Amino acid sequence: MGRLLVQRFSLALIILAFVSLLVFIMVELLPGDAATAYLGRDATTEEIEEVRITLGLDRPAPERFLVWAGGLVRGDLGVSLARGEPINTFLWMRLRNSLVLGITAALVGFPLAIGLGIVAGLTRDRLPDLLISTISLIGMSLPEFVTATLLIYLFSIQWRLFPAVTLVNPDAPLAELLPNIVLPILTLIVLLTAYILRVVRTSLIEVMRSDYIRVARMKGLSRFWVVLRHALPNALLPTLTIAALTIAWLIGGLFVIEKVFNYPGIGTLLLAAIQDRDLPVVQSIAMVMAVIYVFVNLGADLLTLVLNPRLRSRRAVG
Amino acid sequence: MFKKVVYFLLFSLIFVLVSACIAPQTPAANEAANAGNGDTGASRGILRVPHFLARNGAESLDPASPTEFSYANYLLYDRLVALNADGVLEPELATAWATNADATEWTFTLREGVTFHDGSAFDSADVAYTFAHILDPETKSRAARTLSLITGTETPDPQTIVFRLEPGHADFPLLLSSRPTAIIPADSGATIATSGIGTGPFKLEALDPEGTTVFSANDNYWRGAPGLAGIEMPAIADNEARTLALQAGQIDLLLQAGSTAAELLTNSPDHTVLSFPTGTWNGLSMRIDMPPFDDVRVRQAIRLVADRQAMVDLILNGAGRVSCDTPVDPADPYRWEPEGGCPQNIEGAKALLAEAGYADGLELTLYTSDVLPNLVPMGEVFQQQAAAAGINITLEVAPADTFFSETAVKEAFITTGWLGRPTDEILNLVFRSTSPLNEAKFVNEAFDKLLDEARQAQDLAKRTKFYQDAQQLIATEGGHMIAMHINEITIVSNAVANFPARTVEHIEWYEITKSE
Repeated sequence: MGRLLVQRFSLALIILAFVSLLVFIMVELLPGDAATAYLGRDATTEEIEEVRITLGLDRPAPERFLVWAGGLVRGDLGVSLARGEPINTFLWMRLRNSLVLGITAALVGFPLAIGLGIVAGLTRDRLPDLLISTISLIGMSLPEFVTATLLIYLFSIQWRLFPAVTLVNPDAPLAELLPNIVLPILTLIVLLTAYILRVVRTSLIEVMRSDYIRVARMKGLSRFWVVLRHALPNALLPTLTIAALTIAWLIGGLFVIEKVFNYPGIGTLLLAAIQDRDLPVVQSIAMVMAVIYVFVNLGADLLTLVLNPRLRSRRAVG
Repeated sequence: MFKKVVYFLLFSLIFVLVSACIAPQTPAANEAANAGNGDTGASRGILRVPHFLARNGAESLDPASPTEFSYANYLLYDRLVALNADGVLEPELATAWATNADATEWTFTLREGVTFHDGSAFDSADVAYTFAHILDPETKSRAARTLSLITGTETPDPQTIVFRLEPGHADFPLLLSSRPTAIIPADSGATIATSGIGTGPFKLEALDPEGTTVFSANDNYWRGAPGLAGIEMPAIADNEARTLALQAGQIDLLLQAGSTAAELLTNSPDHTVLSFPTGTWNGLSMRIDMPPFDDVRVRQAIRLVADRQAMVDLILNGAGRVSCDTPVDPADPYRWEPEGGCPQNIEGAKALLAEAGYADGLELTLYTSDVLPNLVPMGEVFQQQAAAAGINITLEVAPADTFFSETAVKEAFITTGWLGRPTDEILNLVFRSTSPLNEAKFVNEAFDKLLDEARQAQDLAKRTKFYQDAQQLIATEGGHMIAMHINEITIVSNAVANFPARTVEHIEWYEITKSE
């Protein structure tokens, strides 16, 4: 188990190194640079050249990559070209805001999804299942900005319950941020619940058909205990991987939702940075997201190993 | 038994959902209550107006900075002179001005009794410093290029400032009406970007470009105390999000709104949609040094096939004005209009093309891009209109990021657009042969000479004639088809009163009031 842990961890680090190279190359290939974005249309060639030199953009790309990667290893993300401040000073509060959004959505959405999935799985093809499945399919099929706009229309414009868009500073204390996250979270829940719910439902239906469940029923256990003790532990395993991917998506990929709600997370920061050709910021956010993806997946894999003895022993033998 | 469990699960889920929705409501209410605490004026309201976060957090309160926070700076600063909505100069911090015979020396008398937000008195030293700051290469001001004709300033007494120019400029005060020339206190160059100390109707309480920047009324304002207790300026970068915030009552005023927001709110009982003509224009640019546009008959044919009113109706939903190939603001006194306007003339265009050797039709590639909102529709509409005269246009949509820096500089035929500017500035910037931004490579000695003569002409009628002749040269010889001027749309909540019906640059913010 220990060796496995070291193996998987080193693999994760190698993946991250590759990702950093890939991110750098892709950002290099984007048309335009910070100098043209900063100066805009009125700029003359001489002015652009001058800004390029001040920003260090005239240096060869491999040199800039090494400087950047070296900084990354030391935890120094570099300096934003557009703001002239170290990226560490503003990136982490943005990440906090995105985490607050993603984690709250996960905390509310996962139990909801699993619960509804169980209900749907156990009442297969009967009214509760049909209701839950239909509504969740509709929720899943609507693009997030449609759901978001619909929720804003109802909760902000018609009933004035929650703010339509977030108007607080990225560094605002949590208490100020909270009323603003309700609608984004509702939007996220509509999306993620549908997805996870369907996985839970399918695997529960499958497990309930298996022999050991029939045995458990035949030995006289109540249906409640069969579901809780025998069916769920197996049915929820596939959900774990899906949940990990969903968490990674929740933390790293909420651009559309953050933009619609004007939410000061890393999604909106990334969009602004791309607009400004603020390459160090783009690279830093891409790296932060890669780290989150890689480690959330690593965690989910390890958790699956812990929860599923069959996988664990097979690996130990092989 | 099992049924009970299912119902229990369902009910608990509903409970979780409901509590998730209701719990955070209390902080929202607290926030609303806190917002009210800043209001010290008896019944004056607080206006909430969003800015676009155009500089993504690098917004600077230095009016001369290339990343200036324009909406904030409208509130914080005054200029020496301002243009009113009719294009006429009005005194602001200067009360009177005069010049010598060749317009190389301009003397401005300054307003007395004006104080900055920090209490210090405004005098000629502040004006001298402001212009030294703009012309300092370190400031990288966008206004430096236009103002580089200032060779020096003198301050004979606190109420007088003298500008020395080389060459002279008969319309020099017009240059001082541009926003980057707003007056800052002497020696404030190092701090002005965050202190925002000016003489304007509102003073800075808290600068927070990415959150909400807060202003309070400057009750010592020289025009009189503002009608608002303060202004809150939150950052909302997304156009749709701004519209939603306005509908949800989170903001009161939407400046420079898009046409979709205007359509959405036209019939709203809580909002008023205003539309003002501006000088901002859209059109096509043809490189006169590249074939087939090196032949003036081809350029003239391109101008003749355009149905400009159709463009205004189709592209701008009617919220605009036809231009007969002049870039000058329709409200500007120097604006030139040809007699009979500029109707579409397919037969005339065909005849010109036949003369130029394109009797069997002309193949062109027009480059356009999403970089400005109307360019792609402009290309599409023109493509259809030109087809009637046998001009077959292939439309290429180029990436927005590099459209002006890479595509526009090398292709012969592009869609283009420029923000409204005073006559002298727009003509010199885009059409003078020596300007680096002369996109059509329009080289015409007579045109350049007219611009120089206009700058020297002290007599208004003469000056107007020079500028109008110059515009006529653009319309007949130039490399542009300038189709239309775009209206600016402002949407204002009905809680706001005394909102001056003007474009954002000309709003007198101290006049606005709002009932709470």
